[in-house]
Amino acid sequence: MNRLGALLVLFCSLARAQDARQIVAESESRSRSKSQQYEGTLEVIGASNKISIKRWEYRRIGSFGASKAILRFTAPAEVKGVALLIVNHTDRASDQWMWTPAIERDRRIAAQDRSTRFFGTDFSFEDLEERDVDQFDYKLAGDDTIDGAACWKIESKPKQSKSSQYTSSMVWVRKDNYVAAQIEDYSKDKLIRRIHYSDIQNVGGIWTPRTVEVYDANRKSRTILKLEQLEYNVPMKDEDFTLEALRRG
Amino acid sequence: MGKLARALLPAFFLLPAAAQNFTQRGFLETSLELYPDTAPNDSSHAVDDDLFRYQASYTPWAWFRLAGAFDARFDTHQQTDRSADLDWQDRTLKRPALSLREFNATITKGKLTAEFGKQFIHWGKADILNPTDRFAPKDFLTVTDPDFLAVLAARVIYDTGTDSFDFVWQPFFTPSRTPLLNERWTVLPEAVNGLPLVDLGSEFPGRSSFGARWNHIGSGYEVSADFYDGFNSLPVFQGSFNATETAIDFVRTYPELRLYGADAAVPLRWFTVKTEAAYYTSPDHQQDEYVIYVIQFERQIKELSIVAGYAGDAITARTPTLQFSPELGFARAILAHAQYTIDSNRSVSVDAAVRQNGQGSWLRAEYSQAFRQHWRATAGYSWIRGDDSDFLGQFHRNSFALLALRYSF
Repeated sequence: MNRLGALLVLFCSLARAQDARQIVAESESRSRSKSQQYEGTLEVIGASNKISIKRWEYRRIGSFGASKAILRFTAPAEVKGVALLIVNHTDRASDQWMWTPAIERDRRIAAQDRSTRFFGTDFSFEDLEERDVDQFDYKLAGDDTIDGAACWKIESKPKQSKSSQYTSSMVWVRKDNYVAAQIEDYSKDKLIRRIHYSDIQNVGGIWTPRTVEVYDANRKSRTILKLEQLEYNVPMKDEDFTLEALRRG
Repeated sequence: MGKLARALLPAFFLLPAAAQNFTQRGFLETSLELYPDTAPNDSSHAVDDDLFRYQASYTPWAWFRLAGAFDARFDTHQQTDRSADLDWQDRTLKRPALSLREFNATITKGKLTAEFGKQFIHWGKADILNPTDRFAPKDFLTVTDPDFLAVLAARVIYDTGTDSFDFVWQPFFTPSRTPLLNERWTVLPEAVNGLPLVDLGSEFPGRSSFGARWNHIGSGYEVSADFYDGFNSLPVFQGSFNATETAIDFVRTYPELRLYGADAAVPLRWFTVKTEAAYYTSPDHQQDEYVIYVIQFERQIKELSIVAGYAGDAITARTPTLQFSPELGFARAILAHAQYTIDSNRSVSVDAAVRQNGQGSWLRAEYSQAFRQHWRATAGYSWIRGDDSDFLGQFHRNSFALLALRYSF
């Protein structure tokens, strides 16, 4: 499931009781695009309310769950150029490589590393990947309201428990536009992260949250990501999403 | 430096920062090394080293990129040359005061990438020692803290996403920079004690080097194979007794080297295994022939990252020469690196190397903290212990504290 992309979109014409998997699958299908790019501004707010600002550029190509993405920091100065290549797979967790220009080396992010925070933000490496709908089991847990919008509350559990740091997630999907309004990620009933989506706008025909707030329950810290210059279906080439492309910047 | 490069360089670095496809970054760093002990050839206790680095890249078209980096250095210990000439060769014994760190053009066409000019090339997957990394000479003026040097080369990569084929031709040799004779990181053999040494310079190879590498990304593993035919960037010291002057004359030569290597990375549930091995042969029989191999295990536990492994070697043919070889010096050892990220601004790290014979060990602990958006301070200490007969142990007088302050822009 793509937490960062926040692409769970649907039309409200289907707003009747549905199977939980159907809701998520349809939501993913309506959010599909050939490509996506944006400039992200991140405010990392520590437990002591100390704020640090980071910026990255994000580009993604390919269909949901089998896409490739490159995320490259543009600020602050000391991490400028640090980049992450994500190769998503429909049948398993993604492959990820990080490029560090200061040492001119790429490093493969191992599966067990993906619970680590990504470069001082409250996103983990796993939160940056897309997961195909069929990698999870779903259960409708009722109705709820988030930011005044009626939502389906859906519980999801990874079919392969080893493939995720989270043992379960609770997803709130808005009934009016089928966008994810919130996700809570748990490990053995303990809340690990809460991701809240807001400022939902229609961009190129796709309803998209422009603000994503991640709360790390362990550290009591938050990261607010604002998506700027967001565009869908921009012409991109597959060869710009390889290890070599990661290296050359 | 050639006239063309002289003409082009200022234009490149003066490209307007506002240009849409122009990126730049850099830093100014001052670092202070404090040595509690003196060494027989070095009585200093403090060394200050200042570095200004500016990197820029310009992409006028999607298929073409020009990148460069410039270093300006100063130090208190005469490890940096005092000449104001701009150096692009990196062949001097001292670090140049002004140098072109890299300057290259990259052309991309579909799956093909060609890169020409002074560039950094890194091969290998291990983090603690890279036996296959042959186009990567280093500055070893501080042996335990080397810095990479770029090479002048033409490189062509064909990358399909799952397989990549990398071909490198290096027409101009770049040596590794070895410790200076009159400084603490050179420990002279007992045989020359008391006799003056006369440095007759370096004999650089005349022909080019070539390398090829194949990398495959499979489902849950990554594997590579490499071939290199060229020269060792680490010198052999050819000495002779000069009876007239009652001195030892010596010259640095660079042995021919042919290498066959392979590396692999396999992420498993509990840790990632990375392994790398290379068989070095010496066509001109000017150095030992040997295998170096590394196996390392990597594990991330929340904010704690741990890398630990073993580097070994097996000498297959010996040649009685005096060679500066940190690669072999860090082999037959357990190597480890651990880093704990306290928060988005602070981290601590520990590096260690312990030779299996127990005759040499090195431990470095560092604390690093960022301030605001631009500043970072680092404080650390390196302990070196051991016997004079061991590569690491011979530096037992060189334990030092490090204080560094960096402004990044």
